[in-house]
Amino acid sequence: MRRAADQEPALNEPSLAEAGLDGAARVGFGLRVPHYDAILGRGLRADFAEAISENFLGRGGRAFSVLSRVRSDMPVALHGVSLSIGGMDPLSESYLAELSELAKRIGAFSVSDHLSFGTFGGHYGHDLWPLPYTEEALSHVVERVQQVQDRLGRRLLLENVSSYVQYRASALTEWEFLTEVVTRADAGLLLDLNNVFVNAVNHGFSASQYLRALPKERVQQIHLAGHSDAGGYLLDDHGSAVSAAVWRMYEESLELFGALPTIVEWDERLPELSVLEAEADQARALSNRRLSAEVEGKP
Amino acid sequence: MKLAELQAYFARAATSGNGPLPDLEEFFLGSEQLPAKDRLAIYNRGYFYRLLDALASVFGATKRVLGDSDFERLGLSYVARYPSEHPAVERVGRAFASHLRSAGVSSPVVDLAQLEWARLRALVSPNPASVASVDAIDSERFPAARVRLVPSLQRLELDARALTAFNGGDLALREESTGTCGVAVWRSNYAVQHQSLDALEWQALASAESGATLSLVCSVFDSGSPSEDVRQAFRVLSGWFARGWLESVIYDEAPAD
Repeated sequence: MRRAADQEPALNEPSLAEAGLDGAARVGFGLRVPHYDAILGRGLRADFAEAISENFLGRGGRAFSVLSRVRSDMPVALHGVSLSIGGMDPLSESYLAELSELAKRIGAFSVSDHLSFGTFGGHYGHDLWPLPYTEEALSHVVERVQQVQDRLGRRLLLENVSSYVQYRASALTEWEFLTEVVTRADAGLLLDLNNVFVNAVNHGFSASQYLRALPKERVQQIHLAGHSDAGGYLLDDHGSAVSAAVWRMYEESLELFGALPTIVEWDERLPELSVLEAEADQARALSNRRLSAEVEGKP
Repeated sequence: MKLAELQAYFARAATSGNGPLPDLEEFFLGSEQLPAKDRLAIYNRGYFYRLLDALASVFGATKRVLGDSDFERLGLSYVARYPSEHPAVERVGRAFASHLRSAGVSSPVVDLAQLEWARLRALVSPNPASVASVDAIDSERFPAARVRLVPSLQRLELDARALTAFNGGDLALREESTGTCGVAVWRSNYAVQHQSLDALEWQALASAESGATLSLVCSVFDSGSPSEDVRQAFRVLSGWFARGWLESVIYDEAPAD
């Protein structure tokens, strides 16, 4: 399925070392509009930042000034929400052209999007709709990931999404599907621990089993976020602090995958920047503890 | 069912404004606690209210004058009729003003929505490659020169009451119409601005936008008093430079040695 090595594009994203993100705990958070004034005023206290690609594609003005300001201080990861990698509409060439240009312009150290679909008949749903975990969907997604990687000339990171429903047609588990996609497409995995936890509760599986089934070498970044109890199900609303259960999963992921670049996400009921910085500090402390244990040779 | 059919079915369920689709249980798993119908409803609610929030973030003044209830009713009917065509959710409101017009909303409120949409477009427009200063004028070749306007600059013709309402003067909407006025909307550094223009400046700007030479642009000032017309043209062009409306001054012919 994957093209022969001598035909492969140069997947020339900067390494973690080149981006200055290896060898120490690296934690950051997503850029959000209500924080722009604070960021322009005092900068960001983080090791790296994540920008939602769609908020910056083709744009000038304050948004791009904020991104440039942050980029002058730290590495930036681009994280998209509208690629619709699993969708049936053709991939948007104009979107990919703008994404490629933005990634080059700011020297993004990674480009990611979600393993989901969100387009229908030429329209955007602006949501991360789940895919059926079938062989047909697998082939479809793998082919499109390869198309994107060819177009961008770099590896794409795919994030697991939260979901509230499962298809009867699914023949694979979510973690089997995710593993197959990133392995066959030679893509990276952006592991959202909150999404795993939300799905584990909503669909009744073991979050720990999910984590332990993932291909360690493909996991390249971690997302942390809050969720809420909607009565009967968990809602992935990014509207609160990271829960105790997800922090425990973070510790488990540190044991399994090591200390990886980690982003704290917060979208609804957005607090002051200092609150996000405190969440990031907690993630950094846990990462550092893991790194110290590695140095001391502890398991 | 093939992938394409499953996705089309899911998208219909998630974006339908007419309640749950039949046969959901046939394609999706549910539980006693949360049946498939209720699970799909989470996506359906999320779809409409996410887009409604995006409209409210762009059309804040329109929402204020319509009131929360009418804005929600009109916003939801708009989203059902005009799904998003842009990867950035904030661009969903491209046809909101014309939807309000077809729903019978009064003309100044429709124009207020047009103004807010133009302001959003100015906000997200790319930076100009450069901003021309008055020094860019070569007086010898000035009459044959043309100007390129910055990407954020737009011209609108609006009910004058819409401008008052934008600034919080909602009572103006109950007054008699005083007619339409020409308005320029643009972004200066980070700030989006708008300003009404007198008829001659509006005409001159339209002429410049169409690619006319500056001599043609200035020919709109034709009061019968050449000295007054020159003063007027100078004042207007100076204002364009001062507001940063001109990306460049273009001379078609190479400068003479």
